[in-house]
Amino acid sequence: MTDKNNSADEIAVEVEYVFKHFNAFQAVSDLSFCVPKATCFALLGPNGAGKTTMMNMLIGRILRDKISHSKISVLGYDPNKNELEIKYNTGIVPQENNLDVELTVIENLMVYSKFYGIPKKEASKRIHELLSFMELSEKRSSLIKQISGGMQRRLIIARALLNAPCLLILDEPTTGLDPQVRQAIWDKLRILKASGVTILLTTHYMDEAHQLCDNLLIMHQGKKIIEGNPHNLIRDHMEAYVLEIINKQLFNDTYCNTLRCERTATRLMLYTNQFEDLQTLSKTFGAADYVLRPTNLEDLFLKVTGRGLNDG
Amino acid sequence: MMDKRGMEKRKSSPPSFFHRVYSVWYRHIRVYNKHLISNGFPPFLEPLFFIAGIGLGLGNYVGLIGDTPYLSFLAAGMLAPPAMFTAAFECTFGTFIRLEFDKAYDGMVSSSLTVSDLFIGEMLFAGTKGLFFSFAVLTIFMIFGLIPSKMGLLTPLIGFLSGLMFAALALFVTSFVKTINHFNFFLTGCLTPMFFFSGVIFPITNLPYPVQIGSEIFPLTHSTRIIRACCLDALHWSLLWDLLYIIVFTIIIGWLAISRLRKRLIQ
Repeated sequence: MTDKNNSADEIAVEVEYVFKHFNAFQAVSDLSFCVPKATCFALLGPNGAGKTTMMNMLIGRILRDKISHSKISVLGYDPNKNELEIKYNTGIVPQENNLDVELTVIENLMVYSKFYGIPKKEASKRIHELLSFMELSEKRSSLIKQISGGMQRRLIIARALLNAPCLLILDEPTTGLDPQVRQAIWDKLRILKASGVTILLTTHYMDEAHQLCDNLLIMHQGKKIIEGNPHNLIRDHMEAYVLEIINKQLFNDTYCNTLRCERTATRLMLYTNQFEDLQTLSKTFGAADYVLRPTNLEDLFLKVTGRGLNDG
Repeated sequence: MMDKRGMEKRKSSPPSFFHRVYSVWYRHIRVYNKHLISNGFPPFLEPLFFIAGIGLGLGNYVGLIGDTPYLSFLAAGMLAPPAMFTAAFECTFGTFIRLEFDKAYDGMVSSSLTVSDLFIGEMLFAGTKGLFFSFAVLTIFMIFGLIPSKMGLLTPLIGFLSGLMFAALALFVTSFVKTINHFNFFLTGCLTPMFFFSGVIFPITNLPYPVQIGSEIFPLTHSTRIIRACCLDALHWSLLWDLLYIIVFTIIIGWLAISRLRKRLIQ
C-alpha cells in the first residue's frame, strides 16, 4: 500500500499517465507530473482545462480511469485505495466557499477539528494559533454571514490547516479577492512552504503562479502543454520583450514580417529579444498608445493555449 | 506560530470509524442547536393542539376500539408519525440542501471523512431527532394521562429506530432526486398514505384484506404497532417481527442509499 523508497521520500505527489473521462467527455488525458516535498506547484489552464478534475483525483473525490501504468501517489498513498489517509494529511481549499453559515468562525473550526479527531484542548490551542496566523482573531465569535469574502477565504485556509497537513491543495485560492487579501494570502503560503508544507494550487492569475511557484504545468483540454519553472519557461519559450500597441489601426503591418506578432480585436503585440528595436519603434506612438515591457507568464499562457474563449 | 511540533506528538492515523461518524453527528447537533428555540419548541406544541382538537372534538364521537378508549388508541398511534416526519424531512430537504446548495458535504468529504461516514452520521442524527420528537409528544401525552402504561417510556427508543429507518428511506429517495421539487412526490405520494394506512388513526384490521397486505409493507405500520403495544401495555413476542422488519429495512435501504449517494459525490 505504501511503496516508499528513498527517492519517493522526497516526492509529495506523483502523477503518471492519468486519464479521466466523463461519458464521452475527456476531462484529463495522459497527464503526468511530479511535485517534490516543500515546493509549490501550480496547474494552470483555461476554464474547463481539467485542473479541478485533476486536483479532485488526488484526494479520491474523482476516481481516475483504470488504465495499466496509470498511477497517482500522494504522500505515498494511492487515492483510489487510501483516500482517508491522504485526506487526513492534506489540507484542501475548494474553489467554492463551503463554510457552515449557521455557525461562528470558531465553531466552524471546532466542528472540523472533530472530523480530524483532534482532542478538544489541543484543538483550542491550534485554532487560536491559526486564527492569529490568518489574522482573524478579532472575528472569532462572528457569524460567517457577518464577515467579508476575504475573511471567509482566509478562514477556509485556516480550516484546511487544522490538522497541520504536509500537503496543501488550493483550488483558485484568491479568485475574487482584493489585492491586499491576495498578497496577504501569498505571504502565508510562502511561510507555510518555508515550514515544509508542499503546496499545490490552481489559479487563473499568472502573477500568482509566477510569484509562488517553483514549477508549474499549463494544461489545455485535459492535456499537458508545457511544464517547468516559470522563469525558465518564459526564457525558453518567449521572446524577452513585447511592445503592445493598444490601437492596432495606428500601425502599419510591415513590421510583422520581421518580428513575431499577435493580433487581438483591437491590439497588436510585437515580440523580440532586442529591446532597442521595440524602443525605437515605440517612439512613433503617443505615450498612451503603447506599452513596452518584458514578457511574462500571461504572454506565455496565451501563446500556448490560444486567445480563443474556452467557456463554450 | 505555525508550530507543527505540538501536532506531531499525536498519532498520525485517521480517527476510527466510530469517531468519524460521531463527529458528523456532532456537527449536525451543533448546527441544529443554533436555533434551539425554533427547532426544539414546536415538537411540544403539536401534541397540545392534537389533544385540544381531538380530545375536545372528535373524541366524543368514537367509543371503544376493543377494550381501549379511542382517545388512548389514537394517542398511542400518534406517537409514531413525528419520528417519521422529522427524519424524512431532515434526509430529503436537509440532505439535498447540504448536498447541492450549501456544499457542506464537499467540505466534509474533503476533510478526514468518507461518504459512508457522512451518511451514517446523518442517519444517526435523524434517529436522534426521531427520539427527541417522540419524547416531546410522549411528555405532553403523559402529562394529560393519555398513556396508561409505564412501558410507554420505551417510545423514544422506538422513535430513534424509526428515525433511522425513515432516514434510510429518505436518503434513498434523495439519491434519485435532481431538483428539490421532486420531494413533493415522496411526501404526498408516500408519507401521506403511510400516515393513513399504517394503523395510526384506525386499526388496519378493519381494512379490506389486500390493503392490509399493503400496509404490512409500510414501515410506519411496524413502528406504530410496537409503540402502541408499549403504551397500552400489550407487549407480545410477535412484535419481534416488527422490530426485525425495522432493522432489516434500515440496513438494506440504508446500504442502497449510501451506495447511490456515493456515486453522486465521487465520480
